[in-house]
Amino acid sequence: MTRTQQNTVPDAAGAATAGTIVEVTDLAYNYGAHGEFAAVKGLNLQVRRGELYALLGTNGAGKTTTLETIEGHRSPTSGTVTVFGATPTDRRSIRPRIGIMLQETGYAADLTAIETLQLVGAISGRNDDAERVLAKINLSDKRDTRVSQLSGGQRRRLDFGSAIWGTPELLFLDEPTTGLDPMARDSLWDVVAQLRQAGTTIILTTHYLEEAEKYADRIGLMHNGILAREGTLDELVDGHPSRISFVAPANAALPLPAEVNATGRSVVETTQLQQDLTALLLWAQAGGHTLEHLTATSSSLDDVFRTLTHTDTL
Amino acid sequence: MIPIALAELRMLVRNRLVLFCAVLIPLAFGAFLILNDTGTGGAGAIATLQITIMIAMGVYVSGTTTLAARRQTLMLKRMRSGAISDGAILTGLVVPLVVVSVIQIALVLSILSFTAGAPANAVLLIIAVLLTEVMFVGFALATAGVTNSPEHAQVTTLPLFFATIAIAFWVMTTGTAELTWVKRLLPGGGIAELIGAAWNGGASVDLLALLLPSVVWVIAAMYFARTMFKWEPRA
Repeated sequence: MTRTQQNTVPDAAGAATAGTIVEVTDLAYNYGAHGEFAAVKGLNLQVRRGELYALLGTNGAGKTTTLETIEGHRSPTSGTVTVFGATPTDRRSIRPRIGIMLQETGYAADLTAIETLQLVGAISGRNDDAERVLAKINLSDKRDTRVSQLSGGQRRRLDFGSAIWGTPELLFLDEPTTGLDPMARDSLWDVVAQLRQAGTTIILTTHYLEEAEKYADRIGLMHNGILAREGTLDELVDGHPSRISFVAPANAALPLPAEVNATGRSVVETTQLQQDLTALLLWAQAGGHTLEHLTATSSSLDDVFRTLTHTDTL
Repeated sequence: MIPIALAELRMLVRNRLVLFCAVLIPLAFGAFLILNDTGTGGAGAIATLQITIMIAMGVYVSGTTTLAARRQTLMLKRMRSGAISDGAILTGLVVPLVVVSVIQIALVLSILSFTAGAPANAVLLIIAVLLTEVMFVGFALATAGVTNSPEHAQVTTLPLFFATIAIAFWVMTTGTAELTWVKRLLPGGGIAELIGAAWNGGASVDLLALLLPSVVWVIAAMYFARTMFKWEPRA
C-alpha cells in the first residue's frame, strides 16, 4: 500500500516535523491514587499525515490509555503529546478536526439512531447530514429505532458513524470491528478506504492482526506499557522465519532440519522459503515420497506478536 | 449545550418512570401541601416546603439519577469526545430539569397566591428559588460522584434529601428567633428563612443576613460538585 506524503497545512505553532500531525514524546501514564501502576512508560511515536497507523499490543499493554491520551481524554502523567501541533486537551481547537470511535459504545437508550447522530454531530464541531452518514453505515432502515433496540453490531456501526461525521482530518478507531459480522466489517473498511482517499489520517487499535497487516502503513507493537517494535509490516516480519509443515514419510531422512510438533507434523523453519520448499519438493519427487498435509506459511505479524509476548522482549 | 438539553428533554418525555419522578411527583407534593394547609407557619411555610421538596425531588434526586445513568452508559465520555466544554455538557444535562422545576414552582406558587395571597417580595422570592435551584444542582453533581448507578441514586440521595426538607420544616415551624445562626447555617436553613421572609414580608428584614448563608451554601455545593464529580466509571 502506497503511503502518500502531503505538504503540511499550517497548524498551531510547534508541529515539529513536516507531515507529522501526532507527536508523542516520552509519554508516561500512571493509574492509582499515588500513581502506583504505570500503564504507559516512556512511549515515543509519530503519526504522519495521510497514513493509517495501527497500534497493537497484548491485553493491558496500554494501547487504549495511549490512544485516549492522544485523543485528549486524559492528560499525561509525564511527557508531551501534540496533535496538529497543539495540546489535545484543547478541545475547542482540536476536536473539530478529529473523529473518535471509542472502544465501548456510550449512547442514551431512548434516543433513535438518527437523533443520536444528530446530537453527536451537533457537538462535534463539524457539519454533515445525518441521513448521509446513516446510509454510509448501512443503518438507514434503523433510522427511527431507539438505541436500546439496536443490536450490538448496529450500535458499533452507530459509533463509527459518529466518528466519521463531517469527514474528520484525523480519525481514531479503537477496536472498530469488534462485534461486527464479516459483511459489516468489510463495509466499514470500504468507508475507511474512502476516507483515506479524502486524506484522512487514521490511528487504529485492533486485536485482529490481519486487519493491521492488510490496511496499516505502519504498525506499533506495545507490550508492558512501552512501544516494543515499530515499522512497516515488512520491517516487522523481516528476520522472522517462515514455516514449512508436513507429515514426514516414515523412516525417511529429510533434506532439511525439522522439528516434530505435538500433532506429529514436521516443521521446518526457514528464512529462504522458496528455496527450501523447492529443495523439499525435489527430494520428495526423487525419492517417491508423499508429503501429506503440506503447508508453507510466510512469516506474519502473528509470529512477531507471539515472539514479543513469549520472550518479553524490550 | 442546547443540543444536549433538547436531547435530555426528549428522553425525559420518553422515559415514563423519569417523567413520573421528575414531573408528576413534585407537582403532587406541591398540591398536597396546599390542600392540607393546617395554618402552621402560614402561606410562607407552605411556599418554603413546596419549593424545597419540589427542587429536592425534581432537580437533586432526578439530576443525580440522570448523571449517574449517563456516566454508567459512558454517554458522558461520548459527549466529552466532542468539541464542547465540560461546563456546556453538564449545563445541557441539568438545564431541562431546572426548567421543568421552575415551571412547576411557578404553577404551584401561582395557585398558592390565588388561595392565600400574593408574596410580599416577588423579586426576593425569585432570587431565593434560583439560589435553591443552583444549590441543588451542585449537590446533584457532587452526589453523582459517589453514585455508581441510577439505582444506587435512590440510596445516595436520601440523606441530603431528607436533611434539607427536615431543616426547612424545622425553620418554618419554629422560626429563627432561637438558634438563629445554627438554623441559617444548616444546608437549606438559610434559604428556607429567605423564602419565608420573601413571602410573608412583615418587619424589616436584614437581607444580607438572609442572603449570605444561602450564597455560602451555593458556593459550597459547587465546590463539592467540582471535587467529587466523576466523568467515567473507573475515573
